[in-house]
Amino acid sequence: MVVAQQQKTGAFQVLVGKIDDVLQYAIGDPMRYLANWGRLYSLWPVHLETACCSVEVGAAAGARFDMERFGTLEAFGSLRACDLIIVMGTVTRKLAPRLKLVYDQMAEPKWVIAMGACSITGGLYFDSYNVLRGIDDIIPVDVYVPGCPPRAEAFLQGLVLLQEKIRKAPSLSGR
Amino acid sequence: MTLESEFSPDSDRIMSVSLGPQHPGAGHFRVRLWLDGDYVVRSEPDAGYVHRGEEKMGEYRNYIQNVPHLERPVILDSSNILFPYATGVDELMNSKVPARGQYLRVIMSEINRIISHMYFIAIQGYFQGHTTMIAWGMGDRDLWIDLAERIAGARVTFAYIIPGGVRNDIPEFAIEKGLKTCDWFDKRMDEYEKIYFENPMVHQRSDHIGVLSREDAIAYGATGTVARASGLKVDVRKDEPYSAYPDLEFETPVMTQGDAWARTYVALLDMREAVKIIRQALKKLPSGPVRLKLGPQPRVPAGEVYSRTEAARGEMSYHIISDGSPRPYRLKIGVPSAKNLRVLPHLLRDVHVADIPVIYWGLNYWPVESDR
Repeated sequence: MVVAQQQKTGAFQVLVGKIDDVLQYAIGDPMRYLANWGRLYSLWPVHLETACCSVEVGAAAGARFDMERFGTLEAFGSLRACDLIIVMGTVTRKLAPRLKLVYDQMAEPKWVIAMGACSITGGLYFDSYNVLRGIDDIIPVDVYVPGCPPRAEAFLQGLVLLQEKIRKAPSLSGR
Repeated sequence: MTLESEFSPDSDRIMSVSLGPQHPGAGHFRVRLWLDGDYVVRSEPDAGYVHRGEEKMGEYRNYIQNVPHLERPVILDSSNILFPYATGVDELMNSKVPARGQYLRVIMSEINRIISHMYFIAIQGYFQGHTTMIAWGMGDRDLWIDLAERIAGARVTFAYIIPGGVRNDIPEFAIEKGLKTCDWFDKRMDEYEKIYFENPMVHQRSDHIGVLSREDAIAYGATGTVARASGLKVDVRKDEPYSAYPDLEFETPVMTQGDAWARTYVALLDMREAVKIIRQALKKLPSGPVRLKLGPQPRVPAGEVYSRTEAARGEMSYHIISDGSPRPYRLKIGVPSAKNLRVLPHLLRDVHVADIPVIYWGLNYWPVESDR
């Protein structure tokens, strides 16, 4: 009798598994696609300028490069509504705890672009006493944009790469 | 400090607020504010978020290796921060820079002044809610960047002015392009006056806001656009002529209101003079070499030098001490932003919270430059 019950529940589980698969194909995948599609064209960055690469972000937001056609504004007020941090250059020992705090305060899902050589490896300031050698120790990075500073086009390419990453994200949570 | 005795920061009426470092109006900088309702009672700037130890780094790199990292603190104005360094090292080495090199230094310095002021005016327009100014300003700034790119080969970090002259000669087509850009920009600046500086909305947002009197400008040691907007005629190009400036005709614009509007308008007048200087220098450009032959590790005789030039934000100075080795013994950078920062707590008193970005950015303060 125990065996029969096991067989029954086994069959039930198989059935549920099938339904789960069907539901995944019928609802889950379109939902995931829709949610991530919605996210990728409205990436709003936190306005946390860390160093001099902010000038090139400013240029990218200007009339020639026009960051807004990719759905990204330059400055936005509340970090609770933001889902992107662009780390614009050098992170010093004084700024590092603040960067971590800002990242922790943001709502999921959130992404990070490390812009410039300084935020990747410390760059030109690798031997300075007050500069972090890359931000990987503090926050997880999605896209690296090398350059010192990167051109505005390079920054926009990084933004497009991040959008590709979000489009191909395997889960509904966007990660 | 009567204000402190009237309003203790600990009392219930006063609220302490931190503006920055994550704030659209603050940048890489934090101001601690004590607010009574909508009024700022007291403020305390907290700089140092971008302190990268440039001066210490300068001590373990040789005089040529110092060039790229020294221009990073003020990336908008990268030629002007190298200018006093180059003149200082030239003075220490007793080297005479060729005339064409001097003219090219001046041209690049003035192009950078325009690039820096365009960024300043564009962001100031943005803070005043004038969206056209940021769209135009950032777009037109890119044409000057294009010109600088034709001359020096990079977009913002040119490393063009180096000890002994400039890095490379100006190409022939860049001279034509430069003259064309000057003509076009003259017309463009008239349009800025019409759409931005004569706009009643802009006047309402910045007239009589953050007024700095002439006496206070002297007392706090303000330089550059801040001092000139308060009626203080300071300009290193005139007071202590250097490089090719004695041969060129220009004026130092001075205004007397001392408010946020005047500080913005002085930047426009500065740009008009800069265009004049670039046009003259491009037409007068002498022939010959552009730099002296220097080895990769030049030895500088022991000595001490203090050199200063006029950067976009004001007086930029270097104090270089050499002990005869290929590396400087001490490299002290005196930056205009650090001088103008002292004015901020004085201005941020009895003002509305909404006026803070206009006053703060009106000082033309660049935290990366100030922190070094």
